Amino acid sequence: MEKIISIENLNYTYPESKKPAIKDLSLDIYKNEWLSIVGKNGSGKSTLTKLIDGLIEASSGTITIAGQVINEENIWDARKRIGIIFQNPDHQFVGATVEDDVAFGLENQGMPREDMIKEVDRALALVKMSDFKTRDPQSLSGGQKQRVAIAGVLATKPQIIIMDESTSMLDPDGRKTVLDLVQQLRKQQDLTIISITHDIEETELSQRIVVLNDGQIVKDGKPVDIYDLGSNLRKYGLEEPFSSKLMSIIRVTEKLPEGYLSEEELKQQLWKLHSNM
Amino acid sequence: MDKIILGRYLPGDSIIYRLDPRGKFLLTFYFVGIVFLANNVASYAFLLAFVLFAVYLSKINFGFFIKGLRPIFWLILFTVALQLFFTPSNHPLWHWGILTFSKEGMVIAGYIFIRFVLIIFISTLLTLTTTPIEISDSIESILKPLKKINFPVTQVALMLSIALRFVPLLVDETTKIMDAQRARGVDFGEGVLIKRIKSFVPILIPLFVSSFSIAYDLAIAMESRGYKDGEGRSKYRVLSWDKRDNLMVLFMAVVTIILLFLRSY
Repeated sequence: MEKIISIENLNYTYPESKKPAIKDLSLDIYKNEWLSIVGKNGSGKSTLTKLIDGLIEASSGTITIAGQVINEENIWDARKRIGIIFQNPDHQFVGATVEDDVAFGLENQGMPREDMIKEVDRALALVKMSDFKTRDPQSLSGGQKQRVAIAGVLATKPQIIIMDESTSMLDPDGRKTVLDLVQQLRKQQDLTIISITHDIEETELSQRIVVLNDGQIVKDGKPVDIYDLGSNLRKYGLEEPFSSKLMSIIRVTEKLPEGYLSEEELKQQLWKLHSNM
Repeated sequence: MDKIILGRYLPGDSIIYRLDPRGKFLLTFYFVGIVFLANNVASYAFLLAFVLFAVYLSKINFGFFIKGLRPIFWLILFTVALQLFFTPSNHPLWHWGILTFSKEGMVIAGYIFIRFVLIIFISTLLTLTTTPIEISDSIESILKPLKKINFPVTQVALMLSIALRFVPLLVDETTKIMDAQRARGVDFGEGVLIKRIKSFVPILIPLFVSSFSIAYDLAIAMESRGYKDGEGRSKYRVLSWDKRDNLMVLFMAVVTIILLFLRSY
């Protein structure tokens, strides 16, 4: 697998605090991977995204994006490869209408107007928001706003999309639409997704989960392995997944196989136990 | 907040809507200027007819323009009253102390009243038919010559459009904070002046703090989307000046000539 982001011995301390936010962190992220970074508030998740995008400067360590070590000169090039969708859709809108906002990133690249019109239409069609083109962002729902934010990021054709708690302000429906959309785009366009969240249920679409605590990676593995930690996840400020909770209740009376089962697997297992055939 | 018509945009479609916003913007200012040239009944009547014609062309319900007058109703009344009672005259109809009431006073008060109406109507027409973003685009394009003296035109335009875009959000935020403070027992609009002013502190401080955090989030989001310093950017939104707009300028010139003629008539 091809590495797209490689982080080595990264350190960062906020100017106003004594405790480092990121402590000697090393992490490789591969192409087309969906990586979830989880951890409680203040574990350094958001700081890490800002470091990757060069929005804040690391105290020490290196970040390599697509084979290039990031420094002050090439950060704008690196940024073109990365699109970030932030938490609060209201705070990331720049444009006065949906189309203006989607065009913002393209305007920054100095793209000629004729191409921009095509790109804006393409990006809005991808997120199924074409009918809302001339609408004022204030008149949209939270999920629609977040889809426009995704369109704004997609218009610039990034290779990496970082979702910084992008679904935390959406209702369950809006969250599902946004996550399904991102999954679909990842498959279609060979994108790398880095999703940051403190909701363990939200990581089910990912291929790999990194658990961050106090600015350090404490666990790194496949979702099944992480979910298998069960109640130990609480140590890192994370909720136990639903089926894991359910299993510990069922285990009292029933015999279940060792290890983590997804909701579907658990259902099958229960059918098996109770069928008389 | 819903009652204020001044500065609000009303979606619609008519010839006035389709005019180039730059032209509309400049000509509105120009018109406000030439209103002061009118000096007799004929010239005022002519300008009033012109404004009513423009209002008619916009196809907007006339009621909106009347509503536009409402917030400054008391100001108009006050000014008209001052003119009515303080215009010196040799043949006063009524006289008491420093107050004089005369035919001249009545005429001048009438002029002032019409002047207010004309200015409010024409500026309401501009804001009702032009979106805020069109206005900020116009300002950017009008200020463009200032670039030569290193005036940061693009940055000012961006600030203006962001400010306009965040007005409804901050209004929402203010209502939310007010409700939250009310729920905690803060009483707005009660008591003497000093107490009333003091009760606004619990709104202002959270509002400032949240503006700062919005500004920070927005700046980060803009930077992550590749916004450098306004240089080397292309523009998605382009204003186009066509035949209609030339016609509007021509029409305005004719209006000025007729006005000058009526003035010396």
